[in-house]
Amino acid sequence: MSLLQVRELRTEFQLEDAVARAVDGVSFDVARGETLAVVGESGSGKSVAALSIMRLVPPPGGTTGGEVLLAGRNLLSLREREMRRVRGAEIGMIFQEPMSCLNPLLTVGEQVAETVRLHRGLGRSAAWRHAEEMLARVNIPEPRRRAADYPHHLSGGMRQRVMIAIALACSPPLLIADEPTTALDVTIQAQILELMRALQSELGMGMLFITHDLGVVAQVADRVAVMYAGRVVEQGTVGEVFARPLHPYTRALLRAIPRAGERRDPARLLPAIPGQVPSAAALPPGCAFAPRCALATAQCRAAVPPEEAAGPGRLVRCIRWREA
Amino acid sequence: MSASLVEVRDLEVTFGARRFFGGGGPALRAVAGVSFAVRPGEVLGLVGESGSGKTTIGRAILRLLEPSGGAVRFGGEDITHLPKPALRPYRRRMQMIFQDPYSSLNPRLKVRDIVGEAYEIHRIGTRGDRAERVAEMLDRVGLPRDAMDRYPHEFSGGQRQRIGIARALAVGPELVVADEPVSALDVSVQAQVVNLLLGLQRSLGLTLLFVAHDLGLVQFISDRVVVLYLGRVMEIAPSQTLYERPRHPYTAALLEAVPKPDPAARRRSEPLRGEIPSPFAPPSGCVFRTRCPYAIEACAQVTPSVTPVGPDHVKACIRDDIL
Repeated sequence: MSLLQVRELRTEFQLEDAVARAVDGVSFDVARGETLAVVGESGSGKSVAALSIMRLVPPPGGTTGGEVLLAGRNLLSLREREMRRVRGAEIGMIFQEPMSCLNPLLTVGEQVAETVRLHRGLGRSAAWRHAEEMLARVNIPEPRRRAADYPHHLSGGMRQRVMIAIALACSPPLLIADEPTTALDVTIQAQILELMRALQSELGMGMLFITHDLGVVAQVADRVAVMYAGRVVEQGTVGEVFARPLHPYTRALLRAIPRAGERRDPARLLPAIPGQVPSAAALPPGCAFAPRCALATAQCRAAVPPEEAAGPGRLVRCIRWREA
Repeated sequence: MSASLVEVRDLEVTFGARRFFGGGGPALRAVAGVSFAVRPGEVLGLVGESGSGKTTIGRAILRLLEPSGGAVRFGGEDITHLPKPALRPYRRRMQMIFQDPYSSLNPRLKVRDIVGEAYEIHRIGTRGDRAERVAEMLDRVGLPRDAMDRYPHEFSGGQRQRIGIARALAVGPELVVADEPVSALDVSVQAQVVNLLLGLQRSLGLTLLFVAHDLGLVQFISDRVVVLYLGRVMEIAPSQTLYERPRHPYTAALLEAVPKPDPAARRRSEPLRGEIPSPFAPPSGCVFRTRCPYAIEACAQVTPSVTPVGPDHVKACIRDDIL
């Protein structure tokens, strides 16, 4: 059994005059020791899916259906009090902006220590020692001195290391990382990705990695789920999806990335995807990508295509994937 | 070599040094002696991480902020210290496209006025033909004519960036400084805007200074690339050369750090260590030496000068025995 099983998850936002279906029947698994990347553009629902798993969807949003099974237990049916124990102890979380998650009035050592006191019931001095160990583990230089620093003393990269230390302080079996390196410079991003990879192989946790960046996916993930307009349109191992993308959206997205050193055609044009992502409050009736898809037919526009198995562990939501 | 459209010589921009009442905080040297030339009709990329000075250089060229040293020449004329009225004709010849299509457009103005404002300021055409000029510009950037009477919030991010491009190009500039023009956009929309910019650049013969942090994108777009670190030039080379044979250790590290969309090309080497030093207290000698895997003692003593290493290719590194 997988560590995390997400089944037919649905999260909606009640707007004044419409309902935005931000997550519209999403299913995926994360095994122990594995990294699943969920990749998509803005409005794809990737972040809302992560928030739904943690039960942190802000109003007017709400999860209206599906199951989130963590080691077999459905998180959606837990009481809020029980859920608070799950967050931190069983699921570690890292977000894009560490500054908005850290308490500016507490030293970083106190914040790591607080997590283990809360979830592990360690005493003050034991918790502090554990905090120093965690800061050393995320490669913060001079961890003893840095433990007494406040978040604003640290650079963006160091703050993200602190967030990782807090997230992993209780050795949770699952880590959810939502765009953890998006706000960082590229050389710092490389360090943080390397650190996350090293910690994962050391601690063996499952990782759900949310990102918009296909480059990052290729570097960190074992498997990938591509989201578009609230649905997973393709899933598979990174090797297969990057080498042989099956959904027209995945293929178009991979082509649209400018790559360093790539021989440019003389006209120097990127293969762009026409149009734009539809609003979650006004999704077309059929395949949400159909309005931008070169292969779309009347059948594509009529009904949402079902998820089809296209090989072991390979899923695609396109009725024409065989022809593509 | 053809004459340059823009020449930047030993440019210095310093922030925070208080000139009155003595004392004050430490000065930040955002740009510390940068020189390069922009050739007419080329796309020149300025690439670097936080604190590299790339945005500041773009703004100093347009005189949106005052250089504290060095010179900027435009079309052969020294414009570094031109007073405002004398600068006006130059403002028409150089325009800017901003990163954030949400905050760079006045939300209270209709598109007609956002794009038309430039005609007013520079007294181009008559009031009567202004609407027609705006409509033509919208057409050029791929927006429908009826966009004229709508407000910025009615458009998506990509469409707003098109409005920003229309505004910049309305007065027929020779030079356009585009500062991270697609960084706020999704990949699928980014490609549309990049194609539009490059198409316009070629059809109008524009000179484009493309400022961005994304090396992959900069290399794709640019004919030549200037690599910056902590306010200094590390390397300047044609795009393809820079990729095939980077000669500065920082360029090599930057290329290595960009996550490639190819799982078969996972990085094997150690990522660059350490943090970008504070621009308030840059290292002595070569500013990159604190993170450089090739640094030797001499790197702390001498500031490397920018020297030629090949055709159209310069670097600022004292080590000739590496890379």
